[in-house]
Amino acid sequence: MQEPKHDQVRSRNEPFVAKTVTRIWHETPDADNPYIAQAASCHGYDLLELMDKRSFADVFYLLFRGELPTPAEVQLFQALMIGLINPGPRHPATRAAMNVGVGKTNPLHILPIASAVLGGDYLGGGEIENAMRFLRKHHSTPAQEFCAQWRDAGASPESLATHGIYGFGQKNGGVDLLTRSIAEHLLSLPGAGKCLRWGQQLANSLQSFGMGWLSTGVAAAVFADLGFHPRAGGSLFQLLGAPGLVAHGLELANKPITAMPFVSDDNYVIER
Amino acid sequence: MLSNANTPPVVSSNTDTNVVEFLDQQRGRIVSNTGGWFPGKGVFAHGYSMLEELVGVKSYFQILILNATGKLVSKELADWVEAIYGCLSWPDPRIWCNQIGALAGAARTSVVAATTIGSLAADSRSYGPYTLLDGLRFIQDAHAQFLAGATAEEIVQRITAANRGKPYIVGYIRPIAKGDERLEAMERYAKKLGFAIGSHQTLAYDIEKILMREFDEGMNINGYMSAFLSDQGFTPEEVYQMFAAMVASGVTACYLDTYRRPPDTFLPLRCDDIDYQGPAARSVPQP
Repeated sequence: MQEPKHDQVRSRNEPFVAKTVTRIWHETPDADNPYIAQAASCHGYDLLELMDKRSFADVFYLLFRGELPTPAEVQLFQALMIGLINPGPRHPATRAAMNVGVGKTNPLHILPIASAVLGGDYLGGGEIENAMRFLRKHHSTPAQEFCAQWRDAGASPESLATHGIYGFGQKNGGVDLLTRSIAEHLLSLPGAGKCLRWGQQLANSLQSFGMGWLSTGVAAAVFADLGFHPRAGGSLFQLLGAPGLVAHGLELANKPITAMPFVSDDNYVIER
Repeated sequence: MLSNANTPPVVSSNTDTNVVEFLDQQRGRIVSNTGGWFPGKGVFAHGYSMLEELVGVKSYFQILILNATGKLVSKELADWVEAIYGCLSWPDPRIWCNQIGALAGAARTSVVAATTIGSLAADSRSYGPYTLLDGLRFIQDAHAQFLAGATAEEIVQRITAANRGKPYIVGYIRPIAKGDERLEAMERYAKKLGFAIGSHQTLAYDIEKILMREFDEGMNINGYMSAFLSDQGFTPEEVYQMFAAMVASGVTACYLDTYRRPPDTFLPLRCDDIDYQGPAARSVPQP
């Protein structure tokens, strides 16, 4: 074969912007030093005034949605924030945080490490966008009818995703009862919306198969009902679970390395 | 006994007992098909004794590829991978993942944090190891079409027809610049190592000729790697796994450059260097 002839290397001269644009945050420079901010505002609201008048949940919502929430919206959002505040000590992300802690890793690494694990496609942020799109697309189809189509095709937990169903399933062989209770509490609030209500109907239809809401599904339903963009959902899920991850990591950070089990050689099996 | 008036009515979990039985069997045990360390007995990796058969016997890149794919490849192929690693990471902080390293240096993180988060930043749809998945999928799919009788011309036409006339093919259009100075260096080295040009690579060059002629676009390093590694029998997933940390060393270099300079001096921004286009100032309503 002849020697290949390649293109000559040259710049594309792409039209990069001169300044980064944001619609979120404005910093007012000091009159004497343009690098020092003397005030900041979030979507037009002065930061100090927000500190004075509004809750953390209000401003969190404002950051991502661009407007302050109504009382019903923030009540629902804050309840979800509490419901998701800790994935629990058995979630892979929390166990990663604990390993960081007990392994004497710099505690500042707990959050990035554990939140990356909370970004996975199983019980993590990686599932939220699909779940939000699924709920937004189907919430006007009767849930029982939707469930019947899946049931007629075999009704296995594995077939949920192949039927485009995300955020619902089986956890450790059965219905995730705590998540079901969280969903029921959220449904009792005045801000509960269409996706959450429809998801509950689907969860009820799946109940007899030992399946139902997953935590990702509940988060996705509330995010969708509150108008968050599906692409933001995964990161929001990581943010809302972060406090629990860090708390568990820090709890083990000052304990000896023996404070967590270490699998014995007898129980470590190489399968080849 | 504690009681809670708000306790919801008991709902059955409708558990599949077989699942619980299986989980119980796994409790406190790890089953690995990879390897492990048994103090006093040795370290094992993919069926090899690490310290007797690998360390000092095989190169680091042979071991890296073994861990990423389960395949113990030839020294020559591992040398090729090592050389191309050198092409995939260089210390320019304008590259997005490298700038993570530079910013981490400016913010005084640890070098390990900087290097790992910079590598994470390269898990991108635009550049880095993730794009190799699509690069290999493209050339392997094109090769299957070629074996079924399609010409390179027809393969390109199918792509452009599906993309409103644009030649959007991973491996052929590179951001920032046209052309790729790394190709010839790697082609020379591959020849020196004794690698012949395989059928995926031949097809890749035929596709490049058409793109250069009709669209003034050439092959990039992804296209070359994808074709070469397809000829070596790797799947797209194996290649993504082999190159997970491919940008690490350039990130480390960019971190060190800013770490050694005073804080606040890396690309300093005045307040008005950020272009605010959001709502005008407004007063905060009471909830």
